[in-house]
Amino acid sequence: MPKAWVVVYSITDFITIGMLLTVVAMNSLKRMESCLRAYTINSLLLATLMAVSAFYLDAAHLYIAAAVTLASKGVVIPFLLRKVVRDLKITHEVEPNINTPLSLVITSVLVVIVYSSLSKGIFIEGFTENTLKVSISIILISLFTMITRKKAVTQVIGLLLMENGLFLAGFSLTYGMSTIIELGVVFDVLMGAIILGVFLSQIKKTFIDLDLDKLTTLKG
Amino acid sequence: METDRPETASSRITGKLSSACYLLYAAGCLFPGLLSLRDLLFGYSWYVSLPLSGVLTLSFRGGGLSAYFVIILSLLGFCVSVYSAGYTRHSDSPWSALLLYGIFVSSMYAVFYSANIPAFLISWETMSLSSYFLVVSDTENIEASRAGLLYGVMTHIGTAFIIAAFMVMFFATGSLEFAGIRAGLGSAGNLRSVIFVLALIGFGTKAGVIPLHTWLPKAHPAAPSNVSALMSGVMIKSGIYGIILVTFDILGVGAGQPVAGPPSATLWWGVAALSAGAISAVMGIMHALMERDIKRLLAYSSVENVGIILLGIGASMIFYSNNLPAFAGLALAAALYHVFNHAIFKGLLFMGAGSAVHATGTKNMEEMGGLIKRMPWTGLFFLIGAIAICALPPFNGFMSEWLTFQSLIMGIKTSVVFTKTFMLLAGAALALTGALAASSFVKAFGISFLGVSRSAKAAGAEESSFSMLAGMGILSVFCLLAGIFPGYMLKLISGVSLPAPGGLLQFAPNGFAVSGISSSGVLPTALLGTMLAGAALVFIFPFIAGGRRKSICADPWDCGVRRLTPRMQYTATAFTHPLRRIFKKIYKPRKEVRIDYIVKPFFTREIEYRSEITPLAEVYFYRPLTNALHDIANWARRLQSGNLQLYLGYILGTLVVLLVVWG
Repeated sequence: MPKAWVVVYSITDFITIGMLLTVVAMNSLKRMESCLRAYTINSLLLATLMAVSAFYLDAAHLYIAAAVTLASKGVVIPFLLRKVVRDLKITHEVEPNINTPLSLVITSVLVVIVYSSLSKGIFIEGFTENTLKVSISIILISLFTMITRKKAVTQVIGLLLMENGLFLAGFSLTYGMSTIIELGVVFDVLMGAIILGVFLSQIKKTFIDLDLDKLTTLKG
Repeated sequence: METDRPETASSRITGKLSSACYLLYAAGCLFPGLLSLRDLLFGYSWYVSLPLSGVLTLSFRGGGLSAYFVIILSLLGFCVSVYSAGYTRHSDSPWSALLLYGIFVSSMYAVFYSANIPAFLISWETMSLSSYFLVVSDTENIEASRAGLLYGVMTHIGTAFIIAAFMVMFFATGSLEFAGIRAGLGSAGNLRSVIFVLALIGFGTKAGVIPLHTWLPKAHPAAPSNVSALMSGVMIKSGIYGIILVTFDILGVGAGQPVAGPPSATLWWGVAALSAGAISAVMGIMHALMERDIKRLLAYSSVENVGIILLGIGASMIFYSNNLPAFAGLALAAALYHVFNHAIFKGLLFMGAGSAVHATGTKNMEEMGGLIKRMPWTGLFFLIGAIAICALPPFNGFMSEWLTFQSLIMGIKTSVVFTKTFMLLAGAALALTGALAASSFVKAFGISFLGVSRSAKAAGAEESSFSMLAGMGILSVFCLLAGIFPGYMLKLISGVSLPAPGGLLQFAPNGFAVSGISSSGVLPTALLGTMLAGAALVFIFPFIAGGRRKSICADPWDCGVRRLTPRMQYTATAFTHPLRRIFKKIYKPRKEVRIDYIVKPFFTREIEYRSEITPLAEVYFYRPLTNALHDIANWARRLQSGNLQLYLGYILGTLVVLLVVWG
C-alpha cells in the first residue's frame, strides 16, 4: 500500500470520527448556541472531507461540492438559525425526555449496533470503509436526538445533522455524485432550513412556546 | 287534477314497459333452461374458453352439475320474472331495479356455468354486488340499508375465504381451470383439508349456515319480494353449489377411494358438514318459529333447509369415506333433490308473502289475518308451498326429506360406532326440524291467512294481478309434480355426473331399493294407499260417529259471545308460547311487562307486554368477537398518541430493527 493512501485513510477516519463526536455531543449540550456551534463544526468537517478527497482523488468537481457545502451548511444555514434563535429568544433547551447520561449510553449502543450489523451485510472497500458506518451512526443518533429533545429548534438542528449524515453516506458509496445533483441537494437543504425557520416563528406565534409537547393538542 | 293526468299516463306507460321487460327476462330464462335439460338428460357437456387478454381467460362449461343448477335457476327465474311483471307495475322508477335484476339473474347463470377460477370469482362478485344493491334499493328505509351493510360485510368475508381456497388450489397446481386443478391436486391430504375448510366457511356464509347466517334474516326481508324469492331460492343455493363443486367435483370426495379398508381420513369432512347441517336445521327453524315478520320467518326457514341439504351432503361424504358408494349416491341425490325442492317452494312462499305484504302494507303477521277470503288464489298457492315445506305428501318437500332421512338412518351401516350414533342423532335432529317446521308454517298460514282480519288494511286487501298469480301457480304445479313423480326427478339428478370410484357417480339401483322407489315409479303405493284411506276417513268419520244431525249456522269459535273482534283471536306469539317454554334453555326468552296505573294497583291505564328471544349466534358468537375487536382497536389507538417524539421513536426503532435483521 502506498504511503499516500495510508494518509488518506487516517485523514478520512479522523475527520469522520470528528463529525460523529459533534453529533454525540449534541446529546449533552443544553445551550442553543452550543448546539448551533456543534452543527457548524459538523458541516465544516464535512466540507473539509470533501476537499481532502478532491485533492487525493484528483476530482475537480468535488472542490465545487466542498465549496458549496462550506458556503451553505457552514455559513448560511447557521447564520439563519442563529437569527431565528435570537429573534425567538430561546437560549436553553428544557429538560429532555431522556436524561443526559442515559442518552449518551443509548447513543453508544446505537453505534455498536451499526458497527456490528454493517460488518455482515453492506460492505464497501477503499478509504471510505469506515465512513459508511460512521454516517449511518450519525443518521441514527441525530434521529435519536430529535426524539429526546422538546424544543422545535433542536429538532431542526437534528434534522440538518441527519442530512449531513445522509450526504456523508452518499459520498462514501459514490465518492461524490455529479456536481449538478450535489448542488440540487444543497439547494434543497437550504430551502428546507428557510422554510423550517418560518415554521418555527409561526409555531411560536400560535402556541406561545416552541415546546413540541403542545402539538399533541392538534390531535383530533 | 289537470297536472296529474300526463303523469299518470306516463307512469302507466312506464309500468307497461317494465312489465314487458320482465316478461322478456322470463322468456330469456327459458333458453338456458331447456338447453340444460337436454344436456342433463342426454349426458351432453360443452366447454367454452374466452381468452380476454394474455393473462385472463374466462371459461365456461355446461352439463352435469352446472346443468342441474341452471335448470333450477331457469325454472325459478321464469316464474319470478313473470311474477315481477305484475309486482313492480306500480313502482315509480322501475328502471334501476330492472337493470339490477337482469344483472343479478345473469350473474347467477355465469356462476353456475363457470369452469375456471377467474370466471367464477368475477360472476360470484357480480352476483353479490347486484344482490346487495337490490337489498338496499328501498333507499328511504334505514333498516334496509343497515341490513344491506351487514349483508355486504358478511358476503365479502365469505368471498375472502373462497378466494383463499382458490388461491391454495392455484398455488398447489398452477392451474386456473377446475379440470386442471382436479387433475393436478392428487391426494395431498392436508392441503385438501385446508381447501375444504376454507370452502365450507366461504360458501357456508353465502348459503347461510349457522353461525354465518346473520345477514340472511335481515337481508331477505329488506329486499323486494321478487328479489327475496330469487335470493332465497337460488342465490343461497350457489353456496351449496360451491360446496358440492369444491368437495365432490374438484377435491373428488369419493374418487380414488380404496375398495375396502378402514374409513379414509376425510371422514371428518363429512362429520363437519353433518354437524353444521344439523345445527343450522334445528336452530334455523327454532328461530323461524318465534318470528312475527312473515318474510323473516321464511328467511330463517331457508337457513333450516340449507341445513337439511347439508345433512345430505355430509352423509354422502361419510358414506364415501366408509366405502359405501351406493348410500353416498343416495344421500347426495337427496341433497340435490332438496335443492330443487327448496328453490321452488321457497320461491313460491316468498312470492305469496310478497303478495300479502303488497296487499296489506305490513310484514307483521299479527296485522294480517283472514287474507284467504280476500285473496283466495294467493292463499291457495301459499298453502301449497307451506304443505310442501312441511314435508307432507304428496308435495315435493316430502320426497327429498324422506330420502335424506333414509340415508341418515343407513348410517347404521358405517363401520365406526361414532358415525353410527352421530348419523342417527342427525336423523333425530331432522325429525325435530320437521315437526317444528310444520308448527311454524301452521302459524304462518293460520295467523296471516285464516281467521278474521286483524287490521283495517288486511280487511281491504285485494287479490294480486294475473301475472303474479301465474308465477305462483306454475311453481305450485311443479311442487306437486316433483312430489308425485320422484322417479323422473331422480333420473334427472342421475345426469349430474361427479367423479367417483369406478368412473362417474351412479345413483346405484340398490340405493333406490333402499328408499323404496323404483326409477320409473310414482309415490310408493303403500304410502299413497294409506294417505287416501286417511283422507277418506276424515270425511266418513262424522257420518259414522255422529249420525243424523241438525246443522246450525254460527260464527265459528265464538262461544256465544256473538261479536268476535280480531283481538280475541289466537295470536302468533300465543301460538308458539308452549314451544317457547319447552325450549326455554335455548331461546332464553326475556319478558318485560310495564304497567301504567291510574290508581295503584286497581286501575290501569295501559299495560305494555314485550317478549323477545335471545339470538344465540349474535350474543354468543358475534358480540364477543366484535368486543374483542373493539378492545384491540382501543389498544392500538395508543400508538397514535399525537406525540411527535413518539412517532420519531417508531422510525428509529424500525430502522434499528431493519439494520440488525438485514444490515
